[in-house]
Amino acid sequence: MAEEPLVVEGKRVLGVVPGVPPVGDRKIPDEQESVMVWPHLLVRHAVAALAVLLLVLIVAIFFDAPLREIANPAVTPNPEKAPWYFAGLQELLSHYHPLVAGILVPGTVVLGAMALPYLDRNPDRHGRTRRVAVATFTIFLVAWIILTIIGFAFRGPDWGWVWPWNAWYGEL
Amino acid sequence: MTHNNELSRRKFLTRMWAAGGGLMAAAGAWTGWDLLRPSAASSLTAQVKTLPPQAVPATGVVEIKAARGYLTREGDQVIALSWKCPHLGCRVPWCESSQEFECPCHGSVFNRLGEYRAGPSPRNMDRLATTVVDGSLVIDPGNVTPGGPLGPETIDEPPAGPRCIGEGH
Amino acid sequence: MTIGKRFRASTLGRSVIRNPNRVTTRDRAAGHWSNFFLHIYPVKIRRKEIYFRYSWFLGVASLALFGSLVVSGIYLMFFYVPSPTTAYGNIQFIQTQVPFGQYIRNVHRWSAHFMVLAVAAHMARVFYRGAYKSPREFNWVIGVVLLVLTLLLSFTGYLLPWDQLAYWAVTVGTSMAAYVPIIGEQVSNVLIGGQEVGSATLIRFYVLHVALLPTVGVVVIALHLWRWRKDSMLDTEHDQQEAM
Repeated sequence: MAEEPLVVEGKRVLGVVPGVPPVGDRKIPDEQESVMVWPHLLVRHAVAALAVLLLVLIVAIFFDAPLREIANPAVTPNPEKAPWYFAGLQELLSHYHPLVAGILVPGTVVLGAMALPYLDRNPDRHGRTRRVAVATFTIFLVAWIILTIIGFAFRGPDWGWVWPWNAWYGEL
Repeated sequence: MTHNNELSRRKFLTRMWAAGGGLMAAAGAWTGWDLLRPSAASSLTAQVKTLPPQAVPATGVVEIKAARGYLTREGDQVIALSWKCPHLGCRVPWCESSQEFECPCHGSVFNRLGEYRAGPSPRNMDRLATTVVDGSLVIDPGNVTPGGPLGPETIDEPPAGPRCIGEGH
Repeated sequence: MTIGKRFRASTLGRSVIRNPNRVTTRDRAAGHWSNFFLHIYPVKIRRKEIYFRYSWFLGVASLALFGSLVVSGIYLMFFYVPSPTTAYGNIQFIQTQVPFGQYIRNVHRWSAHFMVLAVAAHMARVFYRGAYKSPREFNWVIGVVLLVLTLLLSFTGYLLPWDQLAYWAVTVGTSMAAYVPIIGEQVSNVLIGGQEVGSATLIRFYVLHVALLPTVGVVVIALHLWRWRKDSMLDTEHDQQEAM
């Protein structure tokens, strides 16, 4: 078996001359330069995936999935809570007619999100010309997050207002 | 020659194949949908035999768990109300203190006859079909008549006391 | 020589791994192309896109969570019969009798919660980067479809424990569908499979949760990644102006 070839930055080299490069020893990478996915991106993705899995595996040690009493069509629990990702929808439902809160609003949001790239024809990706798009998206996002948090943590029996530090009714 | 407007043999065949494919997809979709539609057998079919009509009091309601509903008196008649809220399907309990139906989920309130009083419900409470067999009322829980549209209440029975659900809806 | 290298040098090894020497850039590119699992990745990518600050790795986090859900979900399926008479007892059995059953159920539940979060955050991140703009418009649309699929998967899974939480959340959710004009009543009936949430609903949600929606999900995810790979080296003049 021949000697292992010496490889520097993915290229075989015949030899290495010691010394300092004339422009200094720190190389500033070019952001637009293309690099090999293997290993540069794969390593990062692997670490990211492992970190997320580790988080799940640790959280699962400490927090058990809930299991309430067996389903009973004769008793509606009070409060009746949807899963947390629908808590915003449920909060809307307590204020508006189901056709509006349950169908029109979520339907418009989903269809609007799908149509977004065709409505927003501004080719600019950064900066001030995107103010309208960014503001619209942010308003929807923040409104949705607030509704979700209210529905999830601030609602108690009869869908009345409770402070989560007084009584906790959130369900995961 | 208007060659471009003519349907060429090739174009014709292409369209026929496309139409055939589309037809098959439509037939498959319809079959699949029809397959999943609940049959009559899957509704609640068991008739529920209850008490004689004259045993239903003039005030309050009688809960019939097996029929998922209540019996209540409307003049000489006895009607059966479904306990499923017309709003979003929660069970509507009878509130003893206020003498009305109050849904804890979203705060719909109905009077003793299931007529709309407050909250987000789009209609009155649904009714279940009843018959009298051998002097006893029999409820058919599979035969549901949607409640009528919102309107003025036909009985004058204001809340008799504090409500069971919180105010603020 | 290590065992790995010895295997790669053998006849069998060379038949399995066609490009054993991943030393030079050329080798790596060739190895990349000949690997089925790597074909969802481009071979080269712009340097700025490999860093955390570019994507926050939310897409790959969503995919990792999906993988975790498939694995833990298959494990749970071995112990679960979707019927109102057995479902609740099965979950109790999983939690008390099956080794690590409670833990696997926790992993499944938490992966689902985190996946909803990760997918939503991925969407927001892509929006704020402007990464949905031409020529990537359609991949954004596919992404929205994936968000909806994630929510549907979560919601169908919610019924399966057959406890009070599950029963009433699904009663309310399916009642909501009935408000859609014209087709709503039909859709609601097909989802419930009867007058009220019961055994027909449970088996329907189960089939949706373990067969139909995951299959559709895998196909749409593949489409999403394939388009990402195809577009990865595309560039517009506006990218060049970026200060990031």
